Amino acid sequence: MNKYISTLVAIVAGVTVFVAAWFFMQIGHGGAIPARAAVESAPAKAAVAGATPLDSTKCIAPTEYMKAHHMQVLDKWRFESVRNGNRTFVTPDGRHFDKSLNTCLGCHAQNPMFCFMCHQYANVKPTCWNCHLSPMETQK
Amino acid sequence: MNQQRREFLKKAGLGALAGLGAAAGLFPAFALEKTDLSLFSEKPVPGKTRWGMLIDTRKCRDGCTECIVACHHTHNVPDFGNSKSQVKWIWKSQYEKAFPTSSKQFQSADLKDRKVLTLCNHCAEPPCTRACPTEATFKRWDGIVSMDYHRCIGCRFCMAACPYGSRSFNWQDPRPGIKELSDTYPTRERGVVEKCNFCSERLVKGKLPACVDTCPEKALMFGDLNDPKSDIRTMLRTNETMQRKPELGTLPSVFYII
Repeated sequence: MNKYISTLVAIVAGVTVFVAAWFFMQIGHGGAIPARAAVESAPAKAAVAGATPLDSTKCIAPTEYMKAHHMQVLDKWRFESVRNGNRTFVTPDGRHFDKSLNTCLGCHAQNPMFCFMCHQYANVKPTCWNCHLSPMETQK
Repeated sequence: MNQQRREFLKKAGLGALAGLGAAAGLFPAFALEKTDLSLFSEKPVPGKTRWGMLIDTRKCRDGCTECIVACHHTHNVPDFGNSKSQVKWIWKSQYEKAFPTSSKQFQSADLKDRKVLTLCNHCAEPPCTRACPTEATFKRWDGIVSMDYHRCIGCRFCMAACPYGSRSFNWQDPRPGIKELSDTYPTRERGVVEKCNFCSERLVKGKLPACVDTCPEKALMFGDLNDPKSDIRTMLRTNETMQRKPELGTLPSVFYII
């Protein structure tokens, strides 16, 4: 009898932990998937004043790649432009870009909520806008 | 330990493990993707230039602060109105503060009252970069002593190491101290050190530093010290110039005509 109860308690505890773990993993994924960026085809004109002219209205890499790896791209760009002075990024298809956050914002600042929407959905809190001017501050 | 409790812990642990395993299987996003860095090409840049500045203190007008205002606006340098939390990139010092080892005996009255424009010297042998434990400050390929604010941990070793007091610490969030945000340069955040960057963000666009550009008396000159034919080298050849605290061996890139 005693052994039966202890086994039952153990099973219930295990199931509880499993259910609790599932709930923990849902934290931050509560909201609906954010709507796509309002501007599908970005305009050629740079939105941020002083930004270098862009070679293209197309992004440096496919959307899927940028969604997953934009942070690594930005980190590498910072290292190369600040430390090595290598400021020009050439895409595999031969387009040239200035390695700068302003290059990204040149198109993506068209929608001031572009970064914010996804970061809120994914519950990540990068500190970019502690120093860099966010599109919400530059667009007035 | 009680045998029963031991059994319980064993089974509960097994149950939890099974639960987590099932959860990982349900959410394939756990599998980490690798960055394809081969997409990003690299190009070496030759380090031939050494940017330098020549300040003609005779031309610098007393009471004029145009370069300071322009620099501090361009780089979003905060002003809180008190000296404790002061942040400065370029400022005016008394002559004997800027050149403490120069002779003060029978000094001319003019020199005694003269204000000297001081900024980061962008030394060829910078002591600050040696003190920095995170390589947040470093000497660039073009002689500029640069800061990577992302890496600064705010230890202020560089401030202790700098013999010119060129570095300032952000004791508080600088944003409230900035009257008009400029979109030419990011701000800093609380807990990082900052200083003059020789307008490296303007140099890449082919512009002169903001202070040189705005000086109404043309008292500031900027150029490549490694190029013997540059204007600044011609001026250095034809005039008697001084550096700040040359006895320290930091080899400043900022020169003064007294």
